[in-house]
Amino acid sequence: MAQEPASSGAIETFTGPGANPRWNSVGPYVTEPQKAPLLLLTDRPVQLETPRHYFSTAFTPNDAFYVRWHLDGIPNNVDLKEWRLQIEGNVAKPQAFSLPELMRKFKAVSIAAVNQCSGNSRSRLQPRVAGGQWGNGAMGNAMWTGVRLRELLDAAGVKTGSVEVQFQGLETGSGPKGMASSSFLKSLDLANPVLDECVVAYLMNGEPLPMLNGFPVRLIVPGYFATYWMKCLSWIRVLDTTDENFWMKPGYRIPDTPKGNTTPDDVKAGKVNMVPIAKMPVRSFLASPDGSSKIPAGMTVTLRGIAFSGYGRVTRVEISDDGGKSWSAAKLGEDYGAYSFRTWEAAWTPKSPGKHTVAVRATDEKGNTQPDAPVWNPGGYLWNRIEKQELVAGIAG
Amino acid sequence: MQMNRRVPVAVLVFCFALTLAGVGMYAELKKGQYQAATLGQFPQTSPSESLPDSQYGGKAYPLYAPELVAGEGKAEVEGYCSMCHSARYITMQPPLPAAAWETEVAKMKKTFGATIPDEVTSKIVRYLQAHYTPETRKQ
Repeated sequence: MAQEPASSGAIETFTGPGANPRWNSVGPYVTEPQKAPLLLLTDRPVQLETPRHYFSTAFTPNDAFYVRWHLDGIPNNVDLKEWRLQIEGNVAKPQAFSLPELMRKFKAVSIAAVNQCSGNSRSRLQPRVAGGQWGNGAMGNAMWTGVRLRELLDAAGVKTGSVEVQFQGLETGSGPKGMASSSFLKSLDLANPVLDECVVAYLMNGEPLPMLNGFPVRLIVPGYFATYWMKCLSWIRVLDTTDENFWMKPGYRIPDTPKGNTTPDDVKAGKVNMVPIAKMPVRSFLASPDGSSKIPAGMTVTLRGIAFSGYGRVTRVEISDDGGKSWSAAKLGEDYGAYSFRTWEAAWTPKSPGKHTVAVRATDEKGNTQPDAPVWNPGGYLWNRIEKQELVAGIAG
Repeated sequence: MQMNRRVPVAVLVFCFALTLAGVGMYAELKKGQYQAATLGQFPQTSPSESLPDSQYGGKAYPLYAPELVAGEGKAEVEGYCSMCHSARYITMQPPLPAAAWETEVAKMKKTFGATIPDEVTSKIVRYLQAHYTPETRKQ
């Protein structure tokens, strides 16, 4: 009998023009400071994806948490003797807090919240769109501890006539000043109720944040896509006008349509009204089994994964192995709050040898359920189609 | 006593017969096959040593530069595009239609402020179209 090749063959180095068929992106494993081996998207600035197997637990380890920067001037270090969090702009009393002041002067609060890149799963879109070609691993969940944004704003005294609050971190780029390539700025409307839930976090899962995830403090915007979660947050700026810098307009915008869906033709025809991206649609994922093990027919295995929604608690996760004709409920794990990953598991038995497809879908407390339909928009955002996994069952004996 | 001695012998004979049958049964069983591996091995990074001062972090981020396809315009792509980002931004993309590459390069100039002379711009676009579209991409 001929010898079978060793299982060390490499996967393809790129995917397309069809959809990326793999769960993760296809880059190699690399090591970066304070990080476990993660999947490389880009090295300058750094973008790293979290491998699939990390998504069977509610909290993503800090060293495995995905990384996404926009500009090449990523801080390598921070001197806490010099570093201050400035609260400035249209305020009565501008403030500058050191890290000890943040920890001492304000009450510490903790919240479990999912951080997901706006472009998570972008490599699924058809036709493909340019941008970071993420698989499903541009997401993570952590217990964030810090101070309430509201208390910081109150300490500075937001003046009447203020419209938005802008966030800036230590990230800078080599481009000309005033251009998108020189600074990364994000803003939220001062009337947005999410501001009451925002936390300026100095702890991530009970430890200081890795430099690549935003040491010393990061903005936590529960339920919202990660574009607003400013890393190395150093300036909180109250504005009396609407922020129209590139990263707010036209950057990070979605069609003002149901599920943010549109077509290349409608975009070209100028028919689409674009609005800033905001909350994350409901999603669920199967972490294991991942198809790497053949299952003897008749053996009952455990399906495991996580689910979340930016619109509220996940209330139901369901499994189907008949192409979505029937669904059965999975058992939900511990509830760490409305914005956390919720683990789920379900027993599943392949009754006969052959290829089986297991699908998983989640529903949140607002009644939003994942569709079995793709989404397309020019930024490659909001993908939340039902995930499917092919599993092969063999003859058991 | 005699009985006690005879029984184990019978068991041994039975087991031997089973083993013979087993060899036949497991004719498909493969053992001891190995093959030289070229992937999945890289050295562990040494743990960083922290000093009890006010500096946090400090390590340089490693560059994992990709090999761009050889061809007319490669030097210009490496020179100009690398002002702001690594060439990984090119190789990471799926094969993009020729027009999409033109749009991307225009965006780098107009939105991101890349200072690329016009004659170099067209050379860069031609290079990307020659090697990174659905029709042309090989690696």
